[in-house]
Amino acid sequence: MTTSTSQSETEPAKISTQNDAPLIVLTAPFASEDEVNLEQILANLAHAWPGQSLRVATAGDATVHAASTSSNGINLITYPQSCVSTAAPLLTATDFVTAADLLREHDAQSCLMLGADAHTFAPEVLAAFSNALSQQAVDLAVPCYYLGAHDGLVNSAILYPLTRALYGTSPRFPLATDLGLSTRNLQRLAVSARRFVSANQEDALLWPVAEAAAAHFSIVEVDAPGRTLAQPATQDLNALFSHVLGSLFSDIEARAAFWQRVRIAKPQTAIVVQSAPESAYDAASMVAAFQLAYANLQEIWAIVLPPTSLLGLKRIAQLPPSDFVMPDSLWARIIYDFILAFHMRTINRGHLLGALTPLYLAWVASHLNVIAQQGSPSAHREAVAVAFESDKSYLVARWRWPDRFNP
Amino acid sequence: MGQQIQYALSQSAHRVLLKVASFLPGLVALLSAVILLTLIGAGLSALLRRVLTALKFDERIAQNQNPALAAGIQGWSSTNSPTVLIARIAFWLCVLLGFVIGISAFDASYSSNAQVSIYLLPYLSHATGAAILLLLGNLIARFLARSVLIGAVNAKLTYSRFLSLGVKWLVLVLTGAMVLDHLEIGGTIIELAFGILFGGIVLTLSLAVGLGSRDIVSRSLEKTAGPAVELTPPIPPAQRVGDNLRHF
Repeated sequence: MTTSTSQSETEPAKISTQNDAPLIVLTAPFASEDEVNLEQILANLAHAWPGQSLRVATAGDATVHAASTSSNGINLITYPQSCVSTAAPLLTATDFVTAADLLREHDAQSCLMLGADAHTFAPEVLAAFSNALSQQAVDLAVPCYYLGAHDGLVNSAILYPLTRALYGTSPRFPLATDLGLSTRNLQRLAVSARRFVSANQEDALLWPVAEAAAAHFSIVEVDAPGRTLAQPATQDLNALFSHVLGSLFSDIEARAAFWQRVRIAKPQTAIVVQSAPESAYDAASMVAAFQLAYANLQEIWAIVLPPTSLLGLKRIAQLPPSDFVMPDSLWARIIYDFILAFHMRTINRGHLLGALTPLYLAWVASHLNVIAQQGSPSAHREAVAVAFESDKSYLVARWRWPDRFNP
Repeated sequence: MGQQIQYALSQSAHRVLLKVASFLPGLVALLSAVILLTLIGAGLSALLRRVLTALKFDERIAQNQNPALAAGIQGWSSTNSPTVLIARIAFWLCVLLGFVIGISAFDASYSSNAQVSIYLLPYLSHATGAAILLLLGNLIARFLARSVLIGAVNAKLTYSRFLSLGVKWLVLVLTGAMVLDHLEIGGTIIELAFGILFGGIVLTLSLAVGLGSRDIVSRSLEKTAGPAVELTPPIPPAQRVGDNLRHF
């Protein structure tokens, strides 16, 4: 297990002296045809916590899962189907409220939330989570998934480098579908989640890594090889992209007072995950889409981006698809400028996020070309993260003095 | 004969001057009310902006906002912070109040059976409504045009700018027709012209979308007809967009 504590611990989490096993919450519902997967999960959990009684909460009808209850000391708890979020597999406000209520109801010391396809978790990984929550008493345990070069692209492009640069945290997946949480961390997240649920925004996303960093909680990253991630329910990239980025930018805006003070003391130790080599991907269609967007959205981008960034985009728009590479510093500045525009409401926020989508696809095309040339997606990912860290001062300066001349 | 002509001219000039003299006080009252309330509105707006900035109103809203309200504001507010929004609302409310007071003063300067007040006063009210209609129509046209442009670009439509302009002019033509109808100008000529123009724009857009989407429609027909019927050759795997990419 790779561990990296991102913040100094001011108050350690409570250490359980009795049953150290956390409350397991399976956030994805199981239909009757998924009984095999549920049995696999329960078997893996029993293997990870040998000889301990486990409480496993799952959504759905209790009678459907009655036959799946293992005799290995697992107490299967069901919670109402209406509480299940519709933005699966991403963890939403509903999931955190449900987990917090179950944690309080069953008086558990910690909680392990497992998302869709949790049967792909190896027992050793679950045991590592157990070790992190009980023995190390961390507040947040985040998995490090082993994804392919063509997977988790939004995370590689925006979520990971942004979270790392602004909050000084190292977890590779700030929006993981599986989390290990201490009681105090989950209660803190539940307070934010209830605000969304009471406003009828059950599908609102929360950012546990940012929340833990702001609260100076301890964060640990757990290697999770072999874990496969389910695809989002909605196949509309534009809608999901706007949903996730809108939530992230709102969260960044709300925590401005915190991340402006965070200093990156030393380069973060990179967790280089070797992904299996994949066939080269033809990025020509994405480059063509970017060139179309450049021809039509230039006036919108000109409202958001400074002249230097526009010049950078002009240069790469003229590149042939085989040589299409977006400099990491340009990408970092583009994201920071869009965050600023989101904060200052330069244009309608829905339009702003829609205008970012073609730029993201341009980055994806560039990323694929870099992988084809250099062969290491993790190296490029880390280079992007370093670029975000290097340009953080630009974001801080423009956030504080938005009217200052900015070429 | 000459004396009669001179008498008729002097009498008519006297009547016109009397009407103008009775019209002017009401007009001056209207303009004075509008200008005075505009100045008061500007001062109130500046004062509100200073006070709310000193109270860090925007930061408090951001921290304690109702997520549903925030989502609604994010969806519709195009620019500026809540402080600026409140200041502008205060200013324009004062301007509107000035118009109301001015029109009321203008009406009071005439007797109830005066011809001018019967025709001019309702027209001023309609003119105010028409101005508001025009402003709203412009805002909606710009918003929809931008939404269509971004959506069409993300859908990789090559005619996205044309589509955006078409939507914008649709809304503007509709707004113009509503404004003219509200002002009771043109009558049926405006209605006919609007119908022809609007129908023409819709037909043009339909042709553009239909002709530009032939490939999409033919592929859709292929899928419904089944594998035995292939209207176009299948796209090689290497050229399919996004098949092997997982963004999340």
